[in-house]
Amino acid sequence: MDRRQFVGICAASAAALSTHSWHALAAGVQEFPAVKLVDAQGVPLKAATLATHQAYLFNYPFRAVPCFLINLGKPSAKAQLLSGESGSYEWPGGAGAQHNLVSYIAICTHQMSYPNKATSVIRYAGDGSELAEKPGMIVCCAHGSVFDPAAGAVKVSGPAEQPLIPVRLEVDPLDDSISATGVAANELIERFFQAYKVDFIAEYGPGGYRQPVEASARTVLLDQFSKTVTNC
Amino acid sequence: MSNEQSRRDFLKLGGTALAMGASGLAAAATTAPGAAKNQAAAVSTAIKADLPKAKGPRLVVVGAGTSGLTIAKYAKRYYPTFDVVLVEKRDMYASCFSSNLWYAGLVDLEFLADHSFLDAAVNNKYIYFNATVTGLDRTSRKLVTNKGEIDYDYLVLAPGIDYDYGKIGVTDAAAVAALHQTYPGGFTQSTEHVTIRRKVREFEGGVFLQSVPSGNYRCLPAPYERACMIASVIKKNKLKGKVLILDANPEITIKAQGFHAAFDELYKGIIEWRASSPIIGVDVEKKQVSTDVETISFDDAAIYPNVRGAILIEQLGLMAPSSHSNQKEAHIDTRFNNFIGDERVYVTGDSRNQPYSKSANTSNTEGHTIARVLAARAQGKEPEWVAPQTICYSMVNADPMEAISVDAGYDYDAKTDLITGFSKTTKVFNDRSTARAQATLEWARGIYRDIFNA
Ligand code: FES
Repeated sequence: MDRRQFVGICAASAAALSTHSWHALAAGVQEFPAVKLVDAQGVPLKAATLATHQAYLFNYPFRAVPCFLINLGKPSAKAQLLSGESGSYEWPGGAGAQHNLVSYIAICTHQMSYPNKATSVIRYAGDGSELAEKPGMIVCCAHGSVFDPAAGAVKVSGPAEQPLIPVRLEVDPLDDSISATGVAANELIERFFQAYKVDFIAEYGPGGYRQPVEASARTVLLDQFSKTVTNC
Repeated sequence: MSNEQSRRDFLKLGGTALAMGASGLAAAATTAPGAAKNQAAAVSTAIKADLPKAKGPRLVVVGAGTSGLTIAKYAKRYYPTFDVVLVEKRDMYASCFSSNLWYAGLVDLEFLADHSFLDAAVNNKYIYFNATVTGLDRTSRKLVTNKGEIDYDYLVLAPGIDYDYGKIGVTDAAAVAALHQTYPGGFTQSTEHVTIRRKVREFEGGVFLQSVPSGNYRCLPAPYERACMIASVIKKNKLKGKVLILDANPEITIKAQGFHAAFDELYKGIIEWRASSPIIGVDVEKKQVSTDVETISFDDAAIYPNVRGAILIEQLGLMAPSSHSNQKEAHIDTRFNNFIGDERVYVTGDSRNQPYSKSANTSNTEGHTIARVLAARAQGKEPEWVAPQTICYSMVNADPMEAISVDAGYDYDAKTDLITGFSKTTKVFNDRSTARAQATLEWARGIYRDIFNA
C-alpha cells in the first residue's frame, strides 16, 4: 500500500468512526480540525500503550485550553444523555476498540481551576485519592469536586454543578493513533479566557491563547505538564 | 449667545434652583414634628435612589462580600428576569479571606484587593450601587440608603459581622474604640488587615498576643493560622519572640491535630497555645489582658473579640430573640434564610443564625442555594434546599508553603428544624503538605473568579 492510499483509508475510517460514535452528539458538538496526539518527541501516541494511573494532558482546541486524556483501563459506561450549562448532549462513551479512552477539557466547571505549568489542583486519580470514595475519579482539590470520567465526567460529589466538557476522540484502527476532533458545545471556554486573560496575554502574547492548535498536540502525563500536582 | 453668557445664565439658574431647594427644605423642616424647638433640625426628604427603572422583579442585595456577590450574580443567572441591584458601602474591595497569608508575605495586597465591583456588575448584568443602608420599611418594601430609597420586590441582606467587645469585658465606648484601633481583630474592615500587616513587619521581639474568642466567630481556624503566619516571620527574622495564643476554648475547634503538629514541629518555643483562657478585660495603655487567673503583658497584639450579627440587622429589626441566637444574628428560616414571616426579605452570610462556620466557602455555597431559592419563589415555585459546604484551608507553614484542610458538610433535622452539626461525610486533612498549599491559593482564586467574573 502506498502512502497516499494509506492516508486515504485513514481519513475514510476516521470519518466513519466520527459519524458512528458521535452522531447523537452532533448537534451539541463544536467541530474543530482534527489534531493528532503526539508525545514530547512528536511521535504519535498509541492507544494501547497509555498509562492508566494518571491522565495525560494536551492543549486543544485552542493553545491555552488544557484537556485530559485518560485510559480508564476498562470500558467506559455506555453512551448517555447528560445535561450541561449549554443544554443537554449525548456523551458517546469511551473511544478505541475497548471504549476505554476518554477526554475532557481539564477546566473544573466549578470555579475554573485548571492545570497550568506551575500547578494543577485538578487531576485524574487512577489509583484513588483521599477525596474520592473510589479510584478512577477526577478530583479538583480547590473546593473538592469529584467527577466520574467513565460516565461522562458527571459530578459525583462537591460543589460543581456541571459535568466536565467532553472532547471527541478518534482512534485510528490501522495505526492505533489518537486524534481529538471536537468538543461538546460550551460557554466555559469563553469565560475561561476572560477570567485568565491577563495571565494568558503574558504567557501567549495578545490573542495567542485563542489560536487553534493545529495538526498535532504535545501530550504528556500531568506530572510533566504541571510542576506541582495537588493530591487531595 | 457667547460662552460667557451661557455660563452666567447657568450660574443664575443654578442659584435659583438652590434657593428653591432651600425653601423646600425649610418648609419640610417647619412641618416636621418637634422641628420648631431646634433651629438646626435634622431634615430628611424622601428621595428615590437614582437608579434605572426596574425591568423585572427588583432584587436588592445589600453587602458585596462573598455572600452578596454570589447571590447578585447567581440569582440573575438562575432567573434572568430579575433586575438586580447590589448595594455596597465600600468603593474598594478587599477580601477578609486569605488575609492571613498576606501577613507572611505569601500573597500580596493585589491578591486580596485587585477585584472590581464595577467589573463584577458588568460581567454579571447587575447594578452596583455605592450607598449605605440606613432603614427598611418592609410593609411598603422600601430600602432606605444615604443616597435615596430603593423599592424592592426581594431583598437580601448580607452585612457580615460586627464585633462584640462586651463579651471580653470591654464595655466603655472609649476603651472599645482604643482597643479596636490599637489592637484590631482583623476580621471585619480591610483597614484592620493593613494595621496587622504593619505590626507583623515591625515586630522586633517579645510577645505577640493573638486571642481566640468563644462562640461561633468568623473563620474558626483563622486565629491559629494567623499565629502560624506570624510565627513564621518571627522564625525567619530570628527574633527573640513568640506568639501567645490566648484561647477562650478548651480545644482548637477544627483541624486541631494539624495545628498542634505545626505548633510542635515548626514553631517549638515560638508559638505558645493557652487553652480555656477567655479574656475578661484589656488595658490598652498598659498592654495587658486579664483572664480569670492571670494578667498577661504583651508587646503587640491582634485581639479578636467575640462576634455578633451585623448591627445593621438589629437596626432594621431583623434580629433573632436570644433563644434563637446568642450572637444577635438574624431571625431567619433555617433552610431558606428568609426573615421569619416575610418571604421577601432574606439574611445570608455571616449574619445568619444557623451554626454554620462563618467562612467564605460557606457563604459562597449558601449563596448559590439562596439564589436558587429566590429564583424559584419569584416564579411561584417551591424552592429546594441544599446544605452549604465548608471547605477551608489553613496555611501552617510559610517556608515552604504547607497547608491543612477540612471539607465539612452539615446535617439538618426536619423534626426540630435545626442544623445539628457537621455531617458524617466531613473530612479533615491534618497532614500538612505543599500540594495543599497550592490548593489553598487556588481555593481563594476560585472564589474570586466565581464572584467577580462571568
Ligand atoms: S474549582 Fe474545582 S472544585 Fe472549585
